[in-house]
Amino acid sequence: MVFSILVLGAPFNSQSAYSAFRFVKAALESEHTIYRVFFYQDGIHNSSAIATPPQDEFDLYQGWQNLQTQHSLDFVTCIAAAARRGLLNESEAKRHNKDNSNMAKEFDLSGLGQLVEATALSDQVITFGQ
Amino acid sequence: MSQPKIQKILIVNQSAPYSSGSAKESLDLALAAGTFEQDVSILFTGDACYQLLTAQDPKEVDSKNLNQMLKVLPIYGVEKLFIDEQSLLDRNIKHIDSDLRITKISASETRELYQNASTVFRF
Repeated sequence: MVFSILVLGAPFNSQSAYSAFRFVKAALESEHTIYRVFFYQDGIHNSSAIATPPQDEFDLYQGWQNLQTQHSLDFVTCIAAAARRGLLNESEAKRHNKDNSNMAKEFDLSGLGQLVEATALSDQVITFGQ
Repeated sequence: MSQPKIQKILIVNQSAPYSSGSAKESLDLALAAGTFEQDVSILFTGDACYQLLTAQDPKEVDSKNLNQMLKVLPIYGVEKLFIDEQSLLDRNIKHIDSDLRITKISASETRELYQNASTVFRF
């Protein structure tokens, strides 16, 4: 089955981001296809490059990054939701005249059209809420 | 991006207008889906009823008027707007903005709306 995943929760703040991560892993292990993972609302925080959880806790940020690299997954973070919450990649930081960027390279910034497209091209869209 | 096939998308909006970003961000998704010519329905339920009141003055809380923003939906081809009648009764709301052309529906009609949707997004 072809799944797309919508992640609305931030790591640590809610369990939904971790549940989404586990779901994606389980789907891949069961030979399903993940068409896209879309990060929206507080879910955009999953794509932070600088979040640093305590060393004795599971690092979900690193977990997502490794998963993307291992499986060449399409991770898309909503550009508008990210900008208003203070998450920018290098080109967005430049465009908004900010000194720093803070987004992991495993994630692409794009618009909600990518979620609409994923909905049309997947068998199921699973939302992991706030 | 390739033109996606038409999906029946139901956006369930259950958030009050200004207590979180959910009302605004669900509207953004509805507009995006409308832009891509998807078959979009929006169901207002629970505290989302408060988004539909006419006498809103969100300037007091430095916010844009969400009720006014909802009025652009038909321009984007999003015309199927529903409100769960029981949610209005529970909150003793008697008047909602008639400009929005929202259809009041019962619990069984709400179930039908869910059943007919190919994808549901809840905010």
